[in-house]
Amino acid sequence: MSTIAETAPRDQTSRRMRVDGWRWGGRVFLVFMLLYTALPMIWMLLTSIKSGFAAMQFPPQWWPDQPTLASYQKLLDPQNSVGQDFLRFFWNSLFVSTATTVLSVIVAVPAAYAFSRFTFPGRNFLFFAVLLRNMFPAVIFLVPLFILMRAIGLVNTHGSLVLTYLTFGLPLAIWLLKGFYDNIPIQLEQAARIDGATRFQAFILIVMPLSAPGIIATAIYSFIGAWNEYIYAYTFLSKNEQLTLPVGIQRFFSENTTDFPGLMAASFMMSVPVVVLFLVLQRYFVRALTEGAVKH
Amino acid sequence: MTIATGQKEARRELQPGSSRLLRNIWEHRADYAYVLPAIVVMLIVIAYPIYYTIELSFFNTPPGLQLRDKNFIGLDNYTAILTSEVFWKVTWNTLIWTLGSTFISFVLGFATALALHRDFIGRGVLRAILIIPWVISAVAASYIWKWIYHSDFGIIGAVLVELGLADRPPNFIDSVGTVLPSLIVVNIWREFPFAMIMMMAGLQTVPDQLLRAAKVDGANAWQRFWHVTFPHLRNVSTVTILLLAVANFNSFIIPWIMTGGGPSNASHIWITHIYELAFGRQRWGVASAYSVLLFLILMTLGYFYVRALGGNERKDGSA
Repeated sequence: MSTIAETAPRDQTSRRMRVDGWRWGGRVFLVFMLLYTALPMIWMLLTSIKSGFAAMQFPPQWWPDQPTLASYQKLLDPQNSVGQDFLRFFWNSLFVSTATTVLSVIVAVPAAYAFSRFTFPGRNFLFFAVLLRNMFPAVIFLVPLFILMRAIGLVNTHGSLVLTYLTFGLPLAIWLLKGFYDNIPIQLEQAARIDGATRFQAFILIVMPLSAPGIIATAIYSFIGAWNEYIYAYTFLSKNEQLTLPVGIQRFFSENTTDFPGLMAASFMMSVPVVVLFLVLQRYFVRALTEGAVKH
Repeated sequence: MTIATGQKEARRELQPGSSRLLRNIWEHRADYAYVLPAIVVMLIVIAYPIYYTIELSFFNTPPGLQLRDKNFIGLDNYTAILTSEVFWKVTWNTLIWTLGSTFISFVLGFATALALHRDFIGRGVLRAILIIPWVISAVAASYIWKWIYHSDFGIIGAVLVELGLADRPPNFIDSVGTVLPSLIVVNIWREFPFAMIMMMAGLQTVPDQLLRAAKVDGANAWQRFWHVTFPHLRNVSTVTILLLAVANFNSFIIPWIMTGGGPSNASHIWITHIYELAFGRQRWGVASAYSVLLFLILMTLGYFYVRALGGNERKDGSA
């Protein structure tokens, strides 16, 4: 504290310069982080509009001499086999991710509500059990789950993926949503109950609309998680027509080891849906983190 | 709420004989309905696999998952692991990978959050761009960076040659010495945005009055940060670091896609090694024993995680 008192009477100019120093440091740092983040993505885009021949040059063409959309046309053309595969993988990913998202909202909403509102025996234990799931790596569950899926006949079906993705989205989803329910005053529900609503009606009509941002955040999180998941899809699926995008792209690349423009175009198109979804809805996500995870 | 309590009171009088816990559970039976779907799914996909992994770790298993032919061998799988050279190599790699990625991601993410805290033109756009790597799939990220690191046509190698810093493009991911740091750079690229979002959320909870009061008292920027902002963010920081550490400890995709653990195990971490043992060499028993060891380590980390969260709650309750 004494050091603060000593620095106080300094003249204005030197202090302003020091503050400016921090601010300039911050700006330089942000520029550095922007380059670190953006350059790889820019290079992906630039490579994706080169021909296969132009990509394999040394020194590289920093800017493509003859930009071409050939790679994108090839991937999106339902007439040739590459395009057929890519579109099918895309559709599979969309189906699996959407199913996971819908189911995880249906399961997480009542669970989070119960954790927030009720005091039943074992409540704390259950809540931490749900959180602890976050801690365990996919690999621990891989072998037994593979055997389990084989036993109940789900290997090589999208059902095995949906069931698995559901569990790994759930812990954070429940945690995020619980934060939202904690912040909704219980008096609102009590008022509705006095007016004759059942607990379930109060939940559907009062609590659900108020927690919509949390539900949206949960949905984004589940969707992105399922869209990007690789290890279970890689292990559970072996038939070509069922692969999801990450695994499908890996298979595509192991067959065409030098088609970097094609690979970059595929990576780009795989990223577009989740990036757009996230950018449109990111404020809900940040808000949910603020309310659920941080504020508690 | 009052209606519900009234009903509970009545029910308590109806069943005087049963034990308190059972009665308590019975009274709250309707509440369990809300959690039941979550619990059932968790039991199927989590509890059963954990049990099965522990069981398998004590068995010698034939390849091809004909598990009826397994035979009990006690702790042999464990001793085999702990005496193997690969185990210590992989453990060392995992340590560097986890600590390096976690620490640098957190510092970069926190610093970015601080730099973005002050409002300026284009802040929203910048923030959105910085978050993108966290959103795109790790598979796409791995391929992008694999292409950037490419030993013949990679852009980093080309820049180094153009600037005269190297005679020929270096081998980033094909040489034992550079492979792990190169992969850590990719991992940080994908992970610092998470730390950034968490810390941005945390920064919003720091009361403005306190900062202004400190400023009036003559505290400089660093002192305001160290004595006001940072103590406020201790809980968020703990949770963020633990989540990052666990995610890094568990990461698989980046090393698996970019190098497959090579060259000569230099980029194998625990998870990729377990995967290769199980699905590559079909040594299910050994892989299960590895998983159990991993599980024990994670339980220890999990203990601190729960304590960090629990401490948070307790403080809230008293305030």
